[in-house]
Amino acid sequence: MNPVWLLAPLYLIPAFSQNEVVLTILIFTFILSILAIGFNIVFGYAGQLTMFHGAAFGMGAYGTYLILNKLGISFWLALLPTFAGILLLSLLVGWICFKFQLREFYFAVVTLAFSELARLVVLNWNSVTNGTLGLLVLDKPTLWLPWVGVMKIEGTRAWYLLALSSLLVVAAFSRVLVCSWIGRNFAAIRLNEELAQTLGINTFRYKLLAFTISNVLAGFAGALFGFYTNYIEPSQLSITQSLDAIAMVLLGGVGSILGPVVGALLLTGLPHVIEFSAELRAAAYGAILILVILVMPRGVVGLFSRWRHVS
Amino acid sequence: MTQVILGQFLNGIIVGTLYGIIALGVTLTFGITGIVNFALGQFMMIGAYAAWHLTDITHLPYPIAVALAVVIAGLAGLLSDRALFQFTRNNLVNGLLVSIGLISVIESGAMLLYTATPKNMDFVLSGAWVFGDITLPRMKVATFGVLVVVIALTWAALANTWLGRATRAYAQNPEAAALMGVNTQALQVGVSVYSCALAGLGGAVYASLYSLEPSMGALFILKGVEAAILAGVGNLAGALVGGVILGVTESIGSLFLPTAFRDAYGLIFLVAILLFRPNGLFGGQK
Amino acid sequence: MHYIARIAATAAFCVASVASLRAQEVVKLGQIEAQTGPNTIYGWMGSQGVPIAVDEINKAGGFKVGDKTYKLELISLDTRGDPKEATIELKRLLEQDKARFVFGPFLSNVFVTVLPYAKQFDGKFLLLGGATRMHDFVGQPGHDFVIRTWNWDAGPSGFGERMVDYLIKTASPKKVAMLFQNDQGGKVLGEIYEPLFKAKGIETVTEYFEPGTKDFTPVLAKLAAFKADYLFPGYSDAPLYDIVRQATEGNFIRKFFLVRGSLGPGMKNKDGIEDYIVYVPKYFEDAEKISPKVKGFVEAYKAFYKREFPYDQAPLCSSSCYDHVYMLVAAMQRAGTVQDVGKIRTALLSFTYSGVWTIKFDQRGEQIFNFDIVHLKKGGELQITRVEP
Repeated sequence: MNPVWLLAPLYLIPAFSQNEVVLTILIFTFILSILAIGFNIVFGYAGQLTMFHGAAFGMGAYGTYLILNKLGISFWLALLPTFAGILLLSLLVGWICFKFQLREFYFAVVTLAFSELARLVVLNWNSVTNGTLGLLVLDKPTLWLPWVGVMKIEGTRAWYLLALSSLLVVAAFSRVLVCSWIGRNFAAIRLNEELAQTLGINTFRYKLLAFTISNVLAGFAGALFGFYTNYIEPSQLSITQSLDAIAMVLLGGVGSILGPVVGALLLTGLPHVIEFSAELRAAAYGAILILVILVMPRGVVGLFSRWRHVS
Repeated sequence: MTQVILGQFLNGIIVGTLYGIIALGVTLTFGITGIVNFALGQFMMIGAYAAWHLTDITHLPYPIAVALAVVIAGLAGLLSDRALFQFTRNNLVNGLLVSIGLISVIESGAMLLYTATPKNMDFVLSGAWVFGDITLPRMKVATFGVLVVVIALTWAALANTWLGRATRAYAQNPEAAALMGVNTQALQVGVSVYSCALAGLGGAVYASLYSLEPSMGALFILKGVEAAILAGVGNLAGALVGGVILGVTESIGSLFLPTAFRDAYGLIFLVAILLFRPNGLFGGQK
Repeated sequence: MHYIARIAATAAFCVASVASLRAQEVVKLGQIEAQTGPNTIYGWMGSQGVPIAVDEINKAGGFKVGDKTYKLELISLDTRGDPKEATIELKRLLEQDKARFVFGPFLSNVFVTVLPYAKQFDGKFLLLGGATRMHDFVGQPGHDFVIRTWNWDAGPSGFGERMVDYLIKTASPKKVAMLFQNDQGGKVLGEIYEPLFKAKGIETVTEYFEPGTKDFTPVLAKLAAFKADYLFPGYSDAPLYDIVRQATEGNFIRKFFLVRGSLGPGMKNKDGIEDYIVYVPKYFEDAEKISPKVKGFVEAYKAFYKREFPYDQAPLCSSSCYDHVYMLVAAMQRAGTVQDVGKIRTALLSFTYSGVWTIKFDQRGEQIFNFDIVHLKKGGELQITRVEP
């Protein structure tokens, strides 16, 4: 069964619940899930641990907003040059890393270095990005619907539908990608890169592809996030952003389509359910992460599939 | 002007030694247990707070406080090794993530115990030596001395003692070492604990120079990892040199270029080195 | 049996009517500050002071408005300095808890993020916070909910102006070197003070450092080349301890001027400094000897938390803290309502409150309060100047 269908019932939630807090948490979950799914493609499927997606997330937000304002075009049109920019940057960084045969750990470190450099540039390029003061985003994405015409996305309900729909599209894309021959090549690279190479797979090209896709998706998530929270700041490009995405994917289940969504839900929602003092909450977060790695290496989704197989 | 540059060069060497001791911990852990323990910054923080507490609160003489702090950091390292890291040997990704979780736990602990208000130790050795235009604070020079001596002793031990040779043998070929009668399990635990103790020492001397906050670990582990990679992870001799190079690059770079980009200079240098010498400046393993 | 039933009924009726007479209604007070996290310096004191006031008021039986008595219920949430977190928390406070009064935020980036959401509730609640960025929105149409509980540096009642005047009067400097953190607060300081010094004929140079920097020697060496009379560092104590120590130990500069940060770094390095002029909302060590209200607050803190009074943090209780709870209650009493936010706001802006601080608001909604200038000389000699704007 195509797991993407499991997302469909979520459309019904706003009809039943008026609880703004729940809907807000879900919106954040959906947007961050897009980031997590992107990371899952390059890490869960292609096996490359990258730390660049946090920077791509932030750059998606900045790029879309700045282009929208400079050129006066709509949100969706502004996304296109932003994606192009992220794509080119990913190709550059990826080319540098993969051409020099950086493996595993060194790859992670170099992507981290580039991510930090991107953050420092954004932080200090005051004339364009307003530096640490950040940017107030008051524009709203607009959507054309056949029976309504052009409508602005504002308010929780509208954002909920937009975020969920975006997630659905990305999840479907991810599923198609993974089930295709491209996805099989990713898996081959993950399992044994040298063997994949001897089998004639151009590992360089496929790694670059996975890396680029992951960053473009991260950029999309970043743009949505920036426009939803109405505020963009340099800390959205930080290492913490990358680490959060990694934690989501691992918690939810590496290498599964919906795992990242589950992980995103847990990490976004749990802090509001556990009514601890803030320090205890941070400790609990760390403890949960440790527990997941040591006890549930295949994440929450992995737990369920094992349970199903047993019964 | 040359005096200013020379002054910053010397400062960079001293600061670099602090990076170097963390780098040594990172390199040892990677070489023997196969993971990068990002939580080493937290063990440094434990050492720092322990030294501060023992000196300022319980009023022990500073050298004793440092020794005790190292022991405390080592014990904490033992605890985390038995509870967590023994399950992630040679699994880089898992080790990374467990150490990130551990960072949250330890940092929260420090927050609960000491709050986020920065702590400043009473001065141990104040004043400075002045040579013309160059001023070298006494405590910084003392710190430099202590760290260099410890690192040198570590090298000497690795080269000359049976335990040291066993460690190097294991790093090169685990199976062979086991066959030769090396208790590999005990060795791994030992190295894990020693790395934490080293970080604790770094923290204890750090406490005499700078203010302490629960979040101090983050900066130093990043620098430590950068320095270790710069030299070549697994290259024990290079760790100190890597740290010094990083420290000097930052200090001199900040002098001429915008200070706000201070962290970037080290990063750019690192990326450049890795591209042309993917095993680090002095070559490491893997 | 008949008469037992009647006695029981009467008793029940008495109990019921007494109970309804003393019916406790509750006024909810929300708080969103960074209690933990890297910027906790600016949220911690507020989260410490407000509970004490709420507890005192409730223990005294609550407060009367009209003929009803009310108690306060405090819902204090930790934003960790994270704007996303703060948005979710504010939503909860306004929509679930239906709080009409929210204390915080002190952090500008948090305020800027919650602003568009909060705007929808203009007229339905009051946001009382100290964030620097609130200054741009206080008193603007559609922003009646913004009440800024902190002095503004510039302008006729600006404490920055007073500080600079004091500096010129005592030291007549020609050059000032400024060293700020490369973030929201630091950049705003640069924007305020560069023109301020220039207007008074003082030459300046400004450098920014990354948050988390511990070793300042390179940038101090750079600034030393400028040969300034005073160093103006700042923003929170954490870097200040290191900056002052390294500046004096490294022989770079020994005279300091601060508008953010405490006396602590100066005292710690008192043998190395030559001059240390700092804006302290209140120098508690002195004030508790002179003012009974201040003494009372210190005692109340120690009794409530059973620990030492945080002298170095306490000055930050000048924003959205102990006094402001009492002031809000007084405003409700003056307005004669706990629900009509517009009336309460008008009342709040109309009077001067005398507590630990003497507080009033200007007609836009920005706080003006008395403060101290502490002048520390080499060796530890202190001179305190009290300023009433």
